[in-house]
Amino acid sequence: MDWAVITDNMGYMLGGLGLTFQMTLIALSGGMFLGCFLAMGRLSSKKWVYYPASAYVHFFRSQPLILVIFWLYFLAPVFVGRPLGAFYSTMIAFVFFEASYFSEIIRGGIQSVPKGQVMAAQATGLGFFTIQRYVVLPQALGNMAPALITRAIVIFQDTSLAYVVGLREFLRRVNLVDTREVRSVELYCFAAVVYFVICTLGSLFADHLERKREASKA
Amino acid sequence: MIEIRNIGLWYRKGQKILDNVSATVGEGSTVVICGPSGSGKSSLLRCINGLETFQEGEILVNGISVQNPNTNIYRLRANIGMVFQHFELYPHMTVTENITLAPMHVLKISKTRARQKAMELLERVGIADQAAKYPGQLSGGQQQRVAIARGLAMEPALMLFDEPTSALDPEMIQEVLEVMVDLARDGMTMVVVTHEMGFAREVADEIIFMDHGRIVEKGNVQTFFNHPENERTQQFLARILR
Ligand SMILES: Nc1ncnc2c1ncn2[C@@H]1O[C@H](COP(=O)(O)OP(=O)(O)O)[C@@H](O)[C@H]1O
Ligand SMILES: [Mg+2]
Repeated sequence: MDWAVITDNMGYMLGGLGLTFQMTLIALSGGMFLGCFLAMGRLSSKKWVYYPASAYVHFFRSQPLILVIFWLYFLAPVFVGRPLGAFYSTMIAFVFFEASYFSEIIRGGIQSVPKGQVMAAQATGLGFFTIQRYVVLPQALGNMAPALITRAIVIFQDTSLAYVVGLREFLRRVNLVDTREVRSVELYCFAAVVYFVICTLGSLFADHLERKREASKA
Repeated sequence: MIEIRNIGLWYRKGQKILDNVSATVGEGSTVVICGPSGSGKSSLLRCINGLETFQEGEILVNGISVQNPNTNIYRLRANIGMVFQHFELYPHMTVTENITLAPMHVLKISKTRARQKAMELLERVGIADQAAKYPGQLSGGQQQRVAIARGLAMEPALMLFDEPTSALDPEMIQEVLEVMVDLARDGMTMVVVTHEMGFAREVADEIIFMDHGRIVEKGNVQTFFNHPENERTQQFLARILR
């Protein structure tokens, strides 16, 4: 064992975390934004809104993420006329894919808000989107925060898949150091520890929110 | 002000919730609706501001047909305040924010102006000191007064009340009724679903008794209490006035 390989390459490898976090953040915010609209569609009583939204959600949930990444990387240029680049195509894939998962989390959150709240807001003359924005979603968010954080942790881990199109996020950089130094055991132990620490912090935060919510209910 | 003409409402086939309901509410008058639970009182109120879709008849508010596809239902609702049994204040907003939300987004008035207005209304319902609190920190009576202020903030021509005191502890009922009596005396047009017969005696211009989706008795305070014609009304009054 030679742990010096880690300290020597620490800066380079942790530098990849910047990209990892950036991708997580974009997938999270973009996925939630699109997911909000899908969730509203899935809750709509209008068939022409409900069916397309449902079809979207079921389609993306049936696909492996890596395939969606390939899809946008190799097939998007066919439609757009030029390559989007590894980063953009991967981010679009993540946003499209994650939106289908967020849609279901958000749908549950919206349903947890009592109907009377919507009725009271409607009675004052507010429109659908204003009601969602100011009355429903803020309340739904509190109820779904733990599920959102759990999903964020999954996204954080899944960003490592971006290596397939050549993006040098954290795990890819560890892998590159290994190719050069041939110190697989040390390097992948290190990678495991990094993922473990970050995800544990996330889980603890989710637990904390969950407990706070339980307490506020009682 | 409100013309209700032969309303029929079903939520599902074979179960008629409102059956040939007709009533008129004149400008500045207060109409009290009472009747046993499940008789369709809440459904009727919701028909008036278009929260419920009825299948028969017509409702006109200030001459505007509620269910006409050309009617701007949002503008119509903005002109009709509504107060619910369980307050339905937004729990994640302060009292002031609860009151200013609709004026800012529907009437598009400035935040400063909306807040100023909210303070005046809170003053009027007697809880100006609670402006910065959240609904959860208030008593039931205070919450309902905030809900009334929220309705008044749109400067509606008409207020609907759906059992505004039924969820309150007895000692808080009076403070809410007082606000409502003041409103009625100030000339607000009001439709009030309530079993508070003291309130009805004091301000009602007309009392309507509903049973199984129909209006079975209608009259002014005198005739309603002293000479009810319908047997169900008599039974109901005997129970409630005991
Ligand atoms: N949204 C709804 N969907 C289906 N049935 C309803 C709905 N709202 C009320 N009802 C039914 O309609 C009837 C009248 O209810 P409601 O108008 O609430 O009466 P009240 O306010 O006089 O108690 C009841 O039988 C109730 O179960
Ligand atoms: Mg009711």
